Amino acid sequence: MNWGFILSNAITLACVYGTLAIGISLTWSSLGLVNMAYGFIFAFAGYGAWLASALIGPYPAMVMAAGILTGALGGLIVCLLAFIPIHDKPNFPIRALIATLAISLIGNQTLLWYFGPRSKSLPRLFGSWSIDVAGVVLTSDKLGASLSAIVLLTLILLWMRSSRRGLEIRAMMMNPHAASIVGIGVRHTGLYVMALTGSLAGLASVLLAQTYYVAPFSGITPMVKGLSIALLGGLGSVPGAVLGAIILGFNEALTSTLLGGQYVLITQFLLIILVLLVRPRGIAGLLDKAREA
Amino acid sequence: MTDTAQPIWIDPTDCHYPEHPAREAPTNRHLPHQVTWDETRQFRPRMHPVGRLRYYHKWPGHGARLWSRVRYWPTRRRVLNVRGEYNPKTMRREKTIVDKRPIWWALAFVALLLAPLFAPAGAWNTVMSAAAVFAIYSAVNLCWMLIIGTAGIFSLATYAVVGAAAYGTTYLAIRLGLPWWMLPLLGSLIGLAFGMVIALPAMRLDGFYYALLTLGVVELCRVYVVQSREFGSATGGLYGAPSYLPAGLAQSHRLLLGYYAALALMVLALVIYRFIDGKRLGRVLRMAPEKREAFAQACGVDYIRARIQVFLISSTALGFIGGFYATHFGGASPNLFSFDTLLLSLAMLVIGGIGRAEGAVAGTAIVVFIDRILIDLGPLRFILIGAIMLAVVLFLRDGLFGIKQQFRTWRDKKKSERRATRSEKGGEMLPEEATETEDKDQIFFRRFDKMQRDFLKRLVSDAVIEEHRMRPLGQHSEPLERLLIYFRRQGQVDKYAIMVIEEFKAYRIVALSGHRGTAPRVVEDRLYGTPDEAYHALFLRRVQDLLES
Repeated sequence: MNWGFILSNAITLACVYGTLAIGISLTWSSLGLVNMAYGFIFAFAGYGAWLASALIGPYPAMVMAAGILTGALGGLIVCLLAFIPIHDKPNFPIRALIATLAISLIGNQTLLWYFGPRSKSLPRLFGSWSIDVAGVVLTSDKLGASLSAIVLLTLILLWMRSSRRGLEIRAMMMNPHAASIVGIGVRHTGLYVMALTGSLAGLASVLLAQTYYVAPFSGITPMVKGLSIALLGGLGSVPGAVLGAIILGFNEALTSTLLGGQYVLITQFLLIILVLLVRPRGIAGLLDKAREA
Repeated sequence: MTDTAQPIWIDPTDCHYPEHPAREAPTNRHLPHQVTWDETRQFRPRMHPVGRLRYYHKWPGHGARLWSRVRYWPTRRRVLNVRGEYNPKTMRREKTIVDKRPIWWALAFVALLLAPLFAPAGAWNTVMSAAAVFAIYSAVNLCWMLIIGTAGIFSLATYAVVGAAAYGTTYLAIRLGLPWWMLPLLGSLIGLAFGMVIALPAMRLDGFYYALLTLGVVELCRVYVVQSREFGSATGGLYGAPSYLPAGLAQSHRLLLGYYAALALMVLALVIYRFIDGKRLGRVLRMAPEKREAFAQACGVDYIRARIQVFLISSTALGFIGGFYATHFGGASPNLFSFDTLLLSLAMLVIGGIGRAEGAVAGTAIVVFIDRILIDLGPLRFILIGAIMLAVVLFLRDGLFGIKQQFRTWRDKKKSERRATRSEKGGEMLPEEATETEDKDQIFFRRFDKMQRDFLKRLVSDAVIEEHRMRPLGQHSEPLERLLIYFRRQGQVDKYAIMVIEEFKAYRIVALSGHRGTAPRVVEDRLYGTPDEAYHALFLRRVQDLLES
């Protein structure tokens, strides 16, 4: 029973899934859209990075940039198809949910059709070394993934705090109606938000492809994990998503050590249901009236 | 035809003396009144073709027989909603079928019964197994529609219930050696238990939180089944459930029997749908749609209880279908829990239209046709289904069966736009005033008067004013005569008149009050020396009022 190994594994996964959860939370809170096409964006970005590494060359920075940019492109596609045409029509939340599900169906099947069912592997971005910290062996991909996720997330959160666009996005998160009254375009900002969250998915995709592979349906499981983390933390709250990622990561580590790997999802959902029964909006979720449009 | 020459006035009294040539004189140019009439009647805005009005075929009447109607037995609803009335023009009895959907339902059911006769012989196996799949899936979708549409719980765990029942019954049947007819009953027990477990969070959560949670539950079931050894992680599914088909039956007969059994299941689901959606529970839940729950609760509607009831009943039905699934296919596969199955069934619901039974069935038919019959297309068929789903979500409000209503709404919008284009005010009544006015002659008079003023305004010219100044009384050209006639037949209220202060010395313009005993109002201080001056001043004042109106 190697506690350190399992713990480091869980922390790495928590970092990556936390990135996804923050993307989902941001989309929900600013646009009122549950982005079910997130798994598709994830896989799409993975294929973008793979194409860049296959066509141009295995330069780590470029592969990562290619993944992030394709993710942003995927986010823009979703925004143009599922947010802009219907955001002012009746029954928007349900319609947007179904539209993103449809995009996910089309997109995943297109990937399957074009690239075939065989999974691809990305080049090692962080080399293949490992260090030993107090008896725990940290491999390069895990350390690199967690560090780059943390660094890039910090950069993005700083950007959200300090820049004009970030201010617009935060205004949309607080009250989209009032934001549109004071001159923050809902469609305009929606494009920024979706590009940002798409690039977060792209980042997560590139980082996770260090451990797993890129396949047409590889996005579903990370999306479900990201969704459940966002759900636990409370949709629409960035600190909640971070907290949810940490809780679920530790739950995963503990369960797989104490009970066995196949009980991870069961304990995870029991945990989520328990938390939601006590706090229906998650640990740090917005109040009911705060997000209505 | 533009006539540049000065128009000629012909003395109308000359017809009394046909031996002379008619007396003629050049006169002022004037506009025929037909021009204004045509311009006003002209319809300028660009309109879209919006279709005809609602059309009912009128059947000949049947007197007393109208009142003895056939009803569905347990309900008090009529088989056909027939309205009987007298035609006010012919005074004859007529009947109108208000809602023809029962006819379409019956025809569709007959078509489904006869479908095996028309299945192509070359692809018999494909078509018949697809038809059985269609019937089972539409039964599942009908129960899901109860949860999503009627109860308004956005649950994605339908296939978790179906799959759990299928796996559970197969497992128990293999272990205990149960007969096939036990499986659906056992399945409904499992479904009820499973429904209770997932209904627990539904009491607290709403909307997306519940949708995402149930999505996770499906994923949980899939992962558990794929990993678990006793549920067939090695064989890719759990098989070996007893089948209801007799052992010594030929392949084609097996398919036929399976199809009719599945069809019976679908009819059962339709009955359940109708008995929940169309009766008390459905009424209660329609009282509490999304965002009006608080209002419903204030009215004394216990909608949470009703929702949970609907949820439990449909979970039981879903478990029944799961048991049937196990006996029909001889087991269950983890495919039931996959994200794609969920997406395809959601596509079925969405394409048909959420909240109506015929939508669930028709959507299932479309999706199953693309998925199972056009199998040569490969992944392209999923893309096709996704594209249809996306188009329906983006462009339609209520799925395929909502198109008619959506079109009617759009046409009503266009009609009201058209009415609004007529509302430029100028003495004419606005549409909302017009609807409130009792005397409809008023509306037409005001419209006519506006048109006449528009016409007269264009007759006013320097030549006409000069002509009136020269000769206020006597023979006038046609434009001047028309203006004067209009001025003369104004109403008494505020009509201008000339007051003689001193004969041949002082005249003044006043406005009549129109009420007995009330003195006329003095309009201006000026005194005019001659009657002709006063006439002309009054004329100018009238012309000014006309031009300002």
